[in-house]
Amino acid sequence: MSENKTQRAAHRATHRFRMLLRLFPAEFRGDYGPEMEQVFAEQRAAAEKHGDKIGVWRLWWETAKGIFTTAPREHFAMLRQDSSFALRMMRKNLGFTIAAMIVLGLGIGANTAIFSVVNAVLLKPLPYQHGERLLTLNPRTDDGEVRRFSVPELMDYRRQNRSLDGIVEYHNMQFILLGRNQPEQVETGVVSWNFFDLFGIKPLAGRMFEPDDEKPGAPAVLLLSFEFWTRSFGGDPGVVGKTFRMNDKLHTVVGILPPFPQYPKHNDVYMPTSACPFRSDPDLIANRQGHMLRLFGRMKPGIKPAQAEADLSTVAVSMQREYPKDYVQDTPLHVQVTPLKTELTRDARPTMLFLLAAAGFVLLIACANVANLNLARMVRREREMGLRTAMGAGRVRLFRQLLTESFLLAFGGGVLGLLLASSALQLLTTYVARFTPRAHEVHVDAQVLLFTLLVAGFVSIFTGTAPALARRENLSNTLKEGGTQSTLGVTRGKIRSALIVAQVAVSFLLLVGAGLTVRSLINLQHVDAGFRPENVLTTQISLDFSRYMSNQSMLSFSDSLLAKIQAMPQVTSVAMSVAFPLDKSPAYNNGYVIEGRPANPSEEKPTAEFNVVSPNYFRTLGISLSSGRDFNDRDRPDKPRVAIINQSVVRHFWRDESPLGRRVSFDNGKNWTEIVGVVGDVRERGLEQAPKDLIYVPYAQYPQMAPSLLARTQGDPMNIARATVQHLYEVDPNQPAGRIQSLEQVRADSISAPRLTANLLGLFALLALAIAAAGIGGVMALSVSQRTHEIGVRMAIGAHPAEIVLMVLRQGMGLVLAGLVLGLAGAFALTHAMTSFLFGVTSTDPATFVLVAAVLLAAAFVACGIPARRAAQVDPLRALRSE
Amino acid sequence: MFHVLLALAGHDLHGYAILKEVALRTGGEVQLSTGTLYGIIKRLLNDGLIVAQRDRPAAIHDDERRRYYRLTPKGRAIAAAEAERLEKVVALARSRHLLKKAQPA
Repeated sequence: MSENKTQRAAHRATHRFRMLLRLFPAEFRGDYGPEMEQVFAEQRAAAEKHGDKIGVWRLWWETAKGIFTTAPREHFAMLRQDSSFALRMMRKNLGFTIAAMIVLGLGIGANTAIFSVVNAVLLKPLPYQHGERLLTLNPRTDDGEVRRFSVPELMDYRRQNRSLDGIVEYHNMQFILLGRNQPEQVETGVVSWNFFDLFGIKPLAGRMFEPDDEKPGAPAVLLLSFEFWTRSFGGDPGVVGKTFRMNDKLHTVVGILPPFPQYPKHNDVYMPTSACPFRSDPDLIANRQGHMLRLFGRMKPGIKPAQAEADLSTVAVSMQREYPKDYVQDTPLHVQVTPLKTELTRDARPTMLFLLAAAGFVLLIACANVANLNLARMVRREREMGLRTAMGAGRVRLFRQLLTESFLLAFGGGVLGLLLASSALQLLTTYVARFTPRAHEVHVDAQVLLFTLLVAGFVSIFTGTAPALARRENLSNTLKEGGTQSTLGVTRGKIRSALIVAQVAVSFLLLVGAGLTVRSLINLQHVDAGFRPENVLTTQISLDFSRYMSNQSMLSFSDSLLAKIQAMPQVTSVAMSVAFPLDKSPAYNNGYVIEGRPANPSEEKPTAEFNVVSPNYFRTLGISLSSGRDFNDRDRPDKPRVAIINQSVVRHFWRDESPLGRRVSFDNGKNWTEIVGVVGDVRERGLEQAPKDLIYVPYAQYPQMAPSLLARTQGDPMNIARATVQHLYEVDPNQPAGRIQSLEQVRADSISAPRLTANLLGLFALLALAIAAAGIGGVMALSVSQRTHEIGVRMAIGAHPAEIVLMVLRQGMGLVLAGLVLGLAGAFALTHAMTSFLFGVTSTDPATFVLVAAVLLAAAFVACGIPARRAAQVDPLRALRSE
Repeated sequence: MFHVLLALAGHDLHGYAILKEVALRTGGEVQLSTGTLYGIIKRLLNDGLIVAQRDRPAAIHDDERRRYYRLTPKGRAIAAAEAERLEKVVALARSRHLLKKAQPA
């Protein structure tokens, strides 16, 4: 009984010891494991014999300690040995090594590059203090319009909310900065004194705003943005303390801001609210309907956005009750909050994730390709492997060797990929800047390096496992003559075929994705936007309001400028307007009343976007006049009010009659405006957006502070840019020109994001196609060389070379077709996720699918054709002798 | 490592015997564990300082898992060189009066 017990204890101990032994590399275990077990058993038995419990425990402790220190050393020694062997093998097969590294480098590079963007833009916390607690506040009305807040509302929210530990305001103005060589139009952010404190931004030089800066009548102060400071002042810290004239007042620069993502707009300078002539106007401060502010808030610790939203909406409802005259009463007022991070990355998220997926696909193809190369190489290394097995190397050992080789390859590819990614980073940053102000945070940093390392690890497992798996148990016949034709060859052939099918399928997916994006881009480029962009120069102007106080002064400015530009010989037509198509200016939406059609409370009040344009606006932009007349020089302030509407308004309200001579009112019937013309629809807000109702009113009747000058020219419009600025200075030497661009440039810029997305995706798809085609060609070439004997026999018994070509092609194209079918199924399942990126093309567009399939087939055909021709040139005699 | 070579300088030994020999000769000061021992054995084998014997001394009843290790001439030379080096070190220490005079046995 007791002997039995001892035996059981010994058994248990052996079992435990074996578990410990597992820490050693398999090879070491194979060599010394049994012996070590035996030694340990004897040690244990000796300790037990003395009946010494502590001795047994000490033995265990010492043994475990020894194993824990020795095992890692053994692993490391093995790794070193494997690596040096792998490096030798790689040097020996330099062609393979370089090919594999390039393929993997491209795949890893694409992923590293896109990940660096995803990491910086989507994953990292905002570079603000407590960025996760920052919110944007938006009052929501039922018509979905983005409204702003008024100053009295801000005060109420500040006083009455319980969920935020700070609310700051922001609005943007264009002001003119005087005091440098030339007057300069600067984007100005007008903010609460503690705006930057809320974001946790510290000055690079000088100081931030202080509470006193915001007091009414305080001396005007400015903060310069980092970008403006480096661009306009060459990064000279001496600018702090200098004064500049702005809005007829002296402004002192008190500090320089560090670089940080500016939202919602990139500003050149910031000023406190008291310095802004509009915001400091007592009438505006008291006006509950003067909606001009954007609000940002920071949640108290522990508060959730939903709680903040509920809290602020409670304040809103109580305001609605308290000031019934200022708010529509039928629906409760509501404040929507959005985490700042969501707001900053909203536009970037879908595209970036989409591109990451595409890059992932490219990597899969690259992996499949290298795995295939590896498999092909294994055929040649079969003898080596067989020999090593015969000499006692276990399967695990060989697997480890193969993995080490793959890892070194993947690591090389990773380094190459990193180089590729970092060289593309500048380009990528510019691209991402179209989507998010966070673009400048994109860097290759520790996280990106870690990501690349992980990807390389994944790649090495993927590419190393396939050949290892293909080596099943039976290795005995590999050493025999002709061993390469063994059953192993069959397994491996199957894996190779499967990898080809997968490569084709994934390539097809990528090509379809790229194809759809490119088609949608072409559609965008060719969409009839309702205007002719060629040969038009656009110049944005922001009048200095301190000198243009009256409509009369604004009008005389525009009259003399228009006359000067019109007199230029290259100019065929010139106009002024408050907005022009695709200029990204905020939309002026307004409700109006149609005469003779009393507002039906159940129906929506007609609303339209407004534009204020001078005569010849339509001629200058090439917008067609369908009926009636253009504005002319008789439509002056003292004349009856007139308007021109677009086709869309006609479709909505005058479907069956002519709108000409009908009247509308923009002030609920106090004044009436006659419709004198109808013009074609224009895509104002984006080429992908259908035209909306748009009403034009004459510039002379509604002069504007920030008009744009539009000039149609003979020849390149940019040729007259300099002269235009000259004329502007002649009219007013203190009036700078804002942005000057050709309208074609404006149009091209408006689709630069989809264009760059299409380019990137196209690049990925071409990469995938090239890799996959090379893979197919390589595998077919290998297959031909393995079947040389068979082909020789066939030829010897009278097969025609054409039959041989056909045979090889059939084999190759069979795989390609299988991949195509798989890819097609995948495409039908996946492309609908792209719908939001597409314009004028469905996600299962048959033409794209057919075209892509044709391209893929053609590439595969060429890839198979080369080995097929080689097969047909096999000399039967030599082929038969070679075995 | 040196202790293992020393242990094998006398006889061919198997693993457990090496452990016991080392412990005995060092008065229990050096207690090798199995892991450490076989790490050393592997290195000595790789460097050609010892060989594993297939044929074992006419054994009474011996575990077949046991392998006996023998010092190679190279191993012996290295062990001797190391011993000489240590001897010189000891002599030096003695001349600096760091050690007491060797007691005649």
